[in-house]
Amino acid sequence: MPQAIKDSVISVSGLSVHFPGCDALRGIDLEVPSGTVFALLGENGAGKTTLIRCLTGFLKPSAGSCRVLGLDPAHDALEIRRRVGYVSDAPALYDWMRVGEIGWFAASFYADGFTDRYREAIARYEVPEGRKIRHLSKGQRAKVALALALAHDPELLILDEPTSGLDPLVRREFLESMLDRVATGRTVLLSSHQIAEVERVADEVAILHQGRFGVIDSLSTLRESVREVTISLEDPLVELPVVESPAEILSEQTEGRQRRMVVRGISEEILDGWRSRPGVTRVSMRAASLEEIFAACVRGGNRDRSSDPTQRSHSTKSA
Amino acid sequence: MYYYNRTPGQSMTRPYSQWVPPMFFTIDPNNGVAIYDQIVRQVKYAIAEGTLRPGQLLPSVRALSQELTINPNTIQRAYLQLQADGAIEPLRGRGLAVRAEATRLCVEARRDLIAQRLRSVLSEALHAGFSNAEVKRIVGEQLTELQGNVPSISAPSPLDATGS
Repeated sequence: MPQAIKDSVISVSGLSVHFPGCDALRGIDLEVPSGTVFALLGENGAGKTTLIRCLTGFLKPSAGSCRVLGLDPAHDALEIRRRVGYVSDAPALYDWMRVGEIGWFAASFYADGFTDRYREAIARYEVPEGRKIRHLSKGQRAKVALALALAHDPELLILDEPTSGLDPLVRREFLESMLDRVATGRTVLLSSHQIAEVERVADEVAILHQGRFGVIDSLSTLRESVREVTISLEDPLVELPVVESPAEILSEQTEGRQRRMVVRGISEEILDGWRSRPGVTRVSMRAASLEEIFAACVRGGNRDRSSDPTQRSHSTKSA
Repeated sequence: MYYYNRTPGQSMTRPYSQWVPPMFFTIDPNNGVAIYDQIVRQVKYAIAEGTLRPGQLLPSVRALSQELTINPNTIQRAYLQLQADGAIEPLRGRGLAVRAEATRLCVEARRDLIAQRLRSVLSEALHAGFSNAEVKRIVGEQLTELQGNVPSISAPSPLDATGS
């Protein structure tokens, strides 16, 4: 059923999750607009899966609230599972069932039409229906999981690193079915390490780092606003004027007489300020790829604590 | 529904819509230019060189999205931009078609894009401290070297000829 309301499918505010000895999420806010592909990036252990588990009601947050399709996962977990499709990176499927049986089994939880859509998808993915799950390859299992997740035509599809370890053709099929969802106005929440794929398909990108969002913005805005600036200096110790907000330095590295920064929201004035600085021989700039933005967020955040503050003229912000 | 009777290296065939892609797109998500802008530019180039002719239909948002595995919202944005620039127009119930005056517009757009790219190379040269005369000499040298050695892919349009 197409959603008439064009507002947030997922909204999270102040969400925190504490595990013994580890703060997995430290107060995050998130709005996922409907009809978009929302990509969740972050290193291993950044908290992506924890966030997804909160959203699907498998995990109770320590603090904060989240709403999925207007429902609270803590109370309406069943209803959410009925309306959301979820593919995890290691789908748990009963391995003694046959491909056809598991569809029939899952159909009992959902409305009519599930089995037909499931069988149609299985045929399209060319998975043999009579084979036991135990005897399927990793890619075929992933296809079964995807077919199960899509067979009830969910309003929201959550993919948690679905394409890790899959061959390029299967990955492409995953991407195509994702885009197919979006083309019909549904929403996709994708967690992935395949940055090249994310760059092709995402509308919005959020980069999780140490339980917080380093960057959360639309991909096109990020592309337009984040630049990698390389400054050649006479002397590695030359001080540069401090960047004023709204511009923000995501990361900064010095290598011999060159300093390289990933800057968000840079303006001509800032560049001119650098160019006119005595001791600066050259300032060059190019668009940063998502991978570089990602690295800048992750590295920039780590450097915050470790590096010596006298070495730098700016403090690195990790919002 | 969709059919994926595809062999490796071959594009997909979709029985539900019989279109053959009118042009090939090459999208590089990494190259600094926004993806929607890459599509806009490539459509304009295709119109300028006559691969797409006035009246010809563009693939639907959904079909192109599947073909390129690019977000449909991005394709939609590219098409809106092309409409705003006057290159294509919606034909009710049929899709988006290349407008009659698009060829002229796109030839101009192509010249602007080339000018922009030359500008970035030239400003790089000036930043590096080359003098005007030196830059002109380099450009002149390269032009003489290239003259007659570069096959022009599309027939030069009359507008291009008068412009240069």
